[in-house]
Amino acid sequence: MAAKDEAVRRLREQLGEGALREDVEFRSGVSWTISCTPESLLSVMKIFNACGFYLESLTGLDFQDTLELVYHMNTYEPRARMAVRVLCPHDGEVPSVTGIFDSALWQEREAWEFFGVSFRGHPDLRRLLLPEDADYYPLRKDFGTVHAYRKREEVYG
Amino acid sequence: MAEHFPQPVQQQLYSLNLGPQHPSTHGVLRVLLTLDGEYILKADPIIGYGHRGHEKMGENRTYLQFMPNSSRMDYLSGLLYNHGFCLAVEKLAGIDPPERAKYIRVICAELNRISSHLLWFGTFLMDLGAFTPFLYCFDDRENILDILDRVSGSRLTYSYCRFGGVARDVDEVFIDQTRAFIKRLRSRWPDYHNLVTKNIIFIHRVRDVGIIDKDLARRFGVTGPNLRAAGVPFDMRKVEPYEVYDRFDFEIPTGTKGDALDRYRVRLEEMEQSCRIIEQALDQLPGGAYRQERVRLKLTPPRGDVYFAFESARGQTAYYLVSDGSPYPYRVHVRVPSFGNLHCLTEVLRETLVADTIAILGSIDIVVPEIDR
Repeated sequence: MAAKDEAVRRLREQLGEGALREDVEFRSGVSWTISCTPESLLSVMKIFNACGFYLESLTGLDFQDTLELVYHMNTYEPRARMAVRVLCPHDGEVPSVTGIFDSALWQEREAWEFFGVSFRGHPDLRRLLLPEDADYYPLRKDFGTVHAYRKREEVYG
Repeated sequence: MAEHFPQPVQQQLYSLNLGPQHPSTHGVLRVLLTLDGEYILKADPIIGYGHRGHEKMGENRTYLQFMPNSSRMDYLSGLLYNHGFCLAVEKLAGIDPPERAKYIRVICAELNRISSHLLWFGTFLMDLGAFTPFLYCFDDRENILDILDRVSGSRLTYSYCRFGGVARDVDEVFIDQTRAFIKRLRSRWPDYHNLVTKNIIFIHRVRDVGIIDKDLARRFGVTGPNLRAAGVPFDMRKVEPYEVYDRFDFEIPTGTKGDALDRYRVRLEEMEQSCRIIEQALDQLPGGAYRQERVRLKLTPPRGDVYFAFESARGQTAYYLVSDGSPYPYRVHVRVPSFGNLHCLTEVLRETLVADTIAILGSIDIVVPEIDR
């Protein structure tokens, strides 16, 4: 369990105690949840990289008041998955982590075309799955008919 | 004097579109290759031709209505996706299915994994120019499809799992058929090894070709048999045991180098391990209910999110579900293994031969609709 504990120790130093939340029972499928600001995202990802983690999944969530980016980090250890949550406004900007994890090259392109978050410093921000001339963000809740559009605290409250 | 000699030939680069409808791309995938002679300087996979917006569809359907969608993402191992989605929702809603249902699901999922690997085995060798193994594999695979067809009612896009159980119970005929199939598959291994594994042409085509080592795999998020071929024993069934996998005795086959030959060996060994799991599950199969009563059709899981990872035929797959307490999921995200597996091609294909491209593309076993979702 070395890599996981090492990552938690260094993240705690970097972000302070309040930003980390443990899920002991692994009920939601992650062992730790880390709340992070766009400014500190790169330093957090560098810690994960140094501890041997890989970027498992990157996705966005659209709420009425904010967009949320969820990065799932994992390492080759039992039950070591961690979620990094970054809040950013609609049409906001977060730093690209492509310099640290190559797999972000495609995953950020996907998040950009579906949610309209722009990634600062991404070398090749083109459409990945959508047509090149798409000028809409399909996974935002104001596109098409969706069942509900809620504020963030209504879901996590 | 010097001007009488021919000028040195300028480096001539040209682009070649592999696909989107080339038989060896296994679906609508286009790989834009920049070539210098027969060597690849740059490979850019272009995807999205089969994008159907499953994630958006998930937001407009109840959890049960999304069930058939799950198996359409990967039509070769649909039951595994179906199984995974079912487990993710059960974890979110706190449903615990009866023991018998768990065993039935594991048996069917492993059968589906073997059928997916068999199809990969056949098509991989067909990409390399060998047609006979393809016919052998489809002959074997047909048996599995018949068994699963009888129990679930479909041959490819299964929608067999239900929240709290399975759609239909299995009977003695199913058990006999499955046992007979495993016996038959085992009797085929010597044929496969004589035909392919010991084949010197095959070995020369795949040995030391398309090496994906540990570091490359980590950077690109490669999982599944492709990662295990690099020597990392990482399998969701062992690392984060779900369902009843922790009750069975099986091994995680690994390779050493991570070349195409290792990936071939790992998958072949994995089929044998799946046979072992099925045999043990059949021996331990308990009686009782196959489905939990009183699971509401319009499930309303409590608020919150769940990230559920499982091992599909191509690697680590995961459903990320966010619930706002209504019968409709607020967000459905699927982490697909082929996404990372295909992405690493940009790195692996650099400075290889065009002929090796086909061997590499075949050996990493991608399903394009799965990436497109």
